[in-house]
Amino acid sequence: MTVLLQSLISGILIGGVYALIGIGLTIIFGVMRVINFAHGDILMVGMYMTYVLFTSFGIDPFVSIVITIPLMFLFGAFLQKLFINRMQGALPQNQILLTIGLGLIMSNTMMLIYTSDYKILSTSYSSESFNLGGISISSPLAISFLITAAITILLYWFLLKTDTGQAIRATAQDREAAQLMGINVRWMSILAFGIGSALAGTAGALISPTYYIFPQIGGIFTLKAFVITVLGGMGSIIGATLGGVIIGIAESVSAVYISSGWKDVVVFVLFLLVLLFKPAGLMGKSRM
Amino acid sequence: MMRRGIVFALAFCLALPGLSLAANVKIGFINSITGPEAPIGENLTNGVTLAIEDLKKKGIDVQLLKEDDTGKPQISMSAMEKLAGQGVAGVVGPYTSACANAVAKLAEKYKVPLLVPAAAKEEITRQNLKYVYRLNAPADQYASSLIDAAMTMGKPKTIAFIYENTDFGTSTSKTAKEYVAKKGIQVVADESYSKGSPDYRSTLTKIKAKNPDLVFMVSYVADAILLMRQSREIGLQPQAFLGGGAGFTTVQFAKEKEISNNVFSTTQWTDDVNWPGAKDFFNRYKSKFGKEPTYHAACAYQAMLIMAETASKNGGDREKTKAGLKSGSWKGIMGETKFEDYEGFTNQNKHQMLVLQIQNGQFETVFPTKFASKKPVFPFPKWK
Repeated sequence: MTVLLQSLISGILIGGVYALIGIGLTIIFGVMRVINFAHGDILMVGMYMTYVLFTSFGIDPFVSIVITIPLMFLFGAFLQKLFINRMQGALPQNQILLTIGLGLIMSNTMMLIYTSDYKILSTSYSSESFNLGGISISSPLAISFLITAAITILLYWFLLKTDTGQAIRATAQDREAAQLMGINVRWMSILAFGIGSALAGTAGALISPTYYIFPQIGGIFTLKAFVITVLGGMGSIIGATLGGVIIGIAESVSAVYISSGWKDVVVFVLFLLVLLFKPAGLMGKSRM
Repeated sequence: MMRRGIVFALAFCLALPGLSLAANVKIGFINSITGPEAPIGENLTNGVTLAIEDLKKKGIDVQLLKEDDTGKPQISMSAMEKLAGQGVAGVVGPYTSACANAVAKLAEKYKVPLLVPAAAKEEITRQNLKYVYRLNAPADQYASSLIDAAMTMGKPKTIAFIYENTDFGTSTSKTAKEYVAKKGIQVVADESYSKGSPDYRSTLTKIKAKNPDLVFMVSYVADAILLMRQSREIGLQPQAFLGGGAGFTTVQFAKEKEISNNVFSTTQWTDDVNWPGAKDFFNRYKSKFGKEPTYHAACAYQAMLIMAETASKNGGDREKTKAGLKSGSWKGIMGETKFEDYEGFTNQNKHQMLVLQIQNGQFETVFPTKFASKKPVFPFPKWK
């Protein structure tokens, strides 16, 4: 019983971070209809940013998100304005190639600067944990889960209650109609890509105290983000949140009850089953 | 005109002393100089460079023919063919197991003595190849030396395995499992994982529930740190953690004192072992190249010494060199070296693996006792 609870808790905690990655991708897709294959690499950039802030300036990874979020927002907005924007309305395969290319440039630039060595960010609390009814919970993971939850709630509030948020949602629902209503859709696209990148960067910052960093790490997370968003329904934020937690739990529980070597198989079988019975994803219809 | 010709010839001699002064002996060296294995390959190259210096002091001029295999077996094979055609007396290398295994068969075909310095795959010296010699201990020794050490210190009854699902992880743990079966230790958990996952807690929780006496891990650097961190988090508390793989012997791992202290690992060579010249080699290497040598450097150094000395003694003749390697014995920074046939191995040096334990962020040799620098800490102290 403890083992089951332990794996459930681990799954939910890690799933929270997955959700953050998925939400970023889904916002970008929702507003721009561009699948961002550089998403994992943007996360990787966020990780290196956290690493540099920690090692050179001694800023705690969890505090550093105050710096990482705006910087990553600007980085994403810059990418959108300079590259992605020009591909708006182009063939989907061209957009995919563009984002893959951008991702490759990012990972190789990082490799040139920091070499391909693994970097480990060791804070004083990296391997701390506390006990809750016989279940040990990793302190850094618990903190990052709380931050993730706070950010997600803030994002919901922003999208549902503010004018700009509603404009983003309107653009996602129908670009032309939104434009006719006087919404500056180009600006909304920049905003969406910025928010998406900031979320990915934040996720990178949040997992860096418990994970390791290397330039090619992006691929793992791009794939994960993709599975999460498709599982939840492309463009749905609630779907991505749900998808992230489901994937986290599925990985963790299958590692205990089947084998850790098989957990990816379990995740992808689950993924295929959802697509088979609900092709639009879990929350496919109700977009945002 | 004549005079001019002589001047030219003289100038030529001065410019290319290697060619004109008739190098004493021609030795080939295949290594991963570029490619993904390059960081380790660098250690082998540097070790060989030091060996060539020392050989020169002894009056042996080595004409070294270096070949880069980029870590790929097919390139390694063409390098061997090239060297065989250039009339080398023998070849030292290649570094990786896959390359060494591919080249071994070619060495036999071309009848070129091959001395493998640091490749671990058992098969290399298990195919009855007469021209293939190996200096380092094969992979099965990694596991058995660790388990032997654990059995000397306590009476473990159960063991749990956790390893990367790659060729390296599965083969190392496979030999370990066979060995513990012989020793009567029960395997209570057998978990492979795919690397790059941020969360091994559930797997470790499963192992914790079995309460094993020993935990045997095979991982590369980053995962080694992650696994130990998460073991601490969930409070996995065996009598000993045995690190059967590359990640547990790195300085980076040792630096993470909170989680790496008292973890056992195993290696071919350390600088604090009392084999003649070991400390000296370490200091020379460090001052010349600005880095600390890994065991690969020591293996390559010793292998080059053995090959060049034997070849020069036999006038560069391949057949005689092969016989010389078989009959000779050496004592150097790798301890005693002798190539023997035993338990299905051919021309295999019975190298003594050293068991290390991290104490206060430093690797200390704890087994075998006659080479030990510190006493082992056993059982594993309670996590703080």
